[in-house]
Amino acid sequence: MSEPATHFELFGLPQAFVLDAGELDRRYREAVKLVHPDRFVAASGPEQRAAVERAAALNEAYQVLKSPSRRALYLLNLQAALDEEATVQDPEFLFQQMEWREELEELGNSADFAAIDTFRQRLIRARQDVDQEFSGVWQDPAQRPRAERLVRRMQFLDKVLYEVRQLEERLDDF
Amino acid sequence: MAYSDKVIDHYENPRNVGKLDADAPNVGTGMVGAPACGDVMRLQIEVDESGVIKDAKFKTYGCGSAIASSSLATEWMKGKTLDEAEQIKNTTIAEELALPPVKIHCSVLAEDAIKAAVRDYKEKQAKQ
Repeated sequence: MSEPATHFELFGLPQAFVLDAGELDRRYREAVKLVHPDRFVAASGPEQRAAVERAAALNEAYQVLKSPSRRALYLLNLQAALDEEATVQDPEFLFQQMEWREELEELGNSADFAAIDTFRQRLIRARQDVDQEFSGVWQDPAQRPRAERLVRRMQFLDKVLYEVRQLEERLDDF
Repeated sequence: MAYSDKVIDHYENPRNVGKLDADAPNVGTGMVGAPACGDVMRLQIEVDESGVIKDAKFKTYGCGSAIASSSLATEWMKGKTLDEAEQIKNTTIAEELALPPVKIHCSVLAEDAIKAAVRDYKEKQAKQ
């Protein structure tokens, strides 16, 4: 058996952090069309199973590549395995995290939509900064610790952004 | 997944939530995070002249198990010496709270926060 294809290879995309999301969507749609169950109604059992497995692999790959933080984590794991449960001790960033969480808590009490939106814009800018820095360091083995720290930051930022969305949904329900 | 009564108790009535003056020389601050779930934990200790922890405070943004683990950790640390506090193990916390296997990492986070707070305090003292 040859090495299993990487998520990037499945879509014929270069192994890179910066990725054209539209192109990924297009290639994903084309690829899943080829393994759609409707095309295998008359096929043999093994062929049907292979198509189902390929569809599952394509879905998994698509989910990982679509999300910048999961894509970044995947790229680092391809280089060398990363301990995904390790406790992060990045004081400067965690301090910032605490402040953001506290601010979000206060925003939740105020129900001020404009302020929530401003807060989200700040998080998105912070996220863009981290993404940009990551794209400049992940390929350099000497910068691996930095790259790992940046992936962690992406994950925490995803979490706060998720909580902002949760808050907005909660307020919308009133 | 059902939380144990002890987790629910700490979650609904967390002990020692708050903040100590991180700039004070006799206060140690530990900041830790779990990237997989995005939980963040701040645990602080105030140490008296004889090296005993006289106060402990925490603030945790995370799931019920993470909040309960850090709440319990602050309860256990009060009145202990630094060395004794450093002996608190995540397994003891997990056992006391009856954490299920998928939530063990929350107790690990609490243990790492204790160690980080003690380390921060010791580093500050060394600089004095």
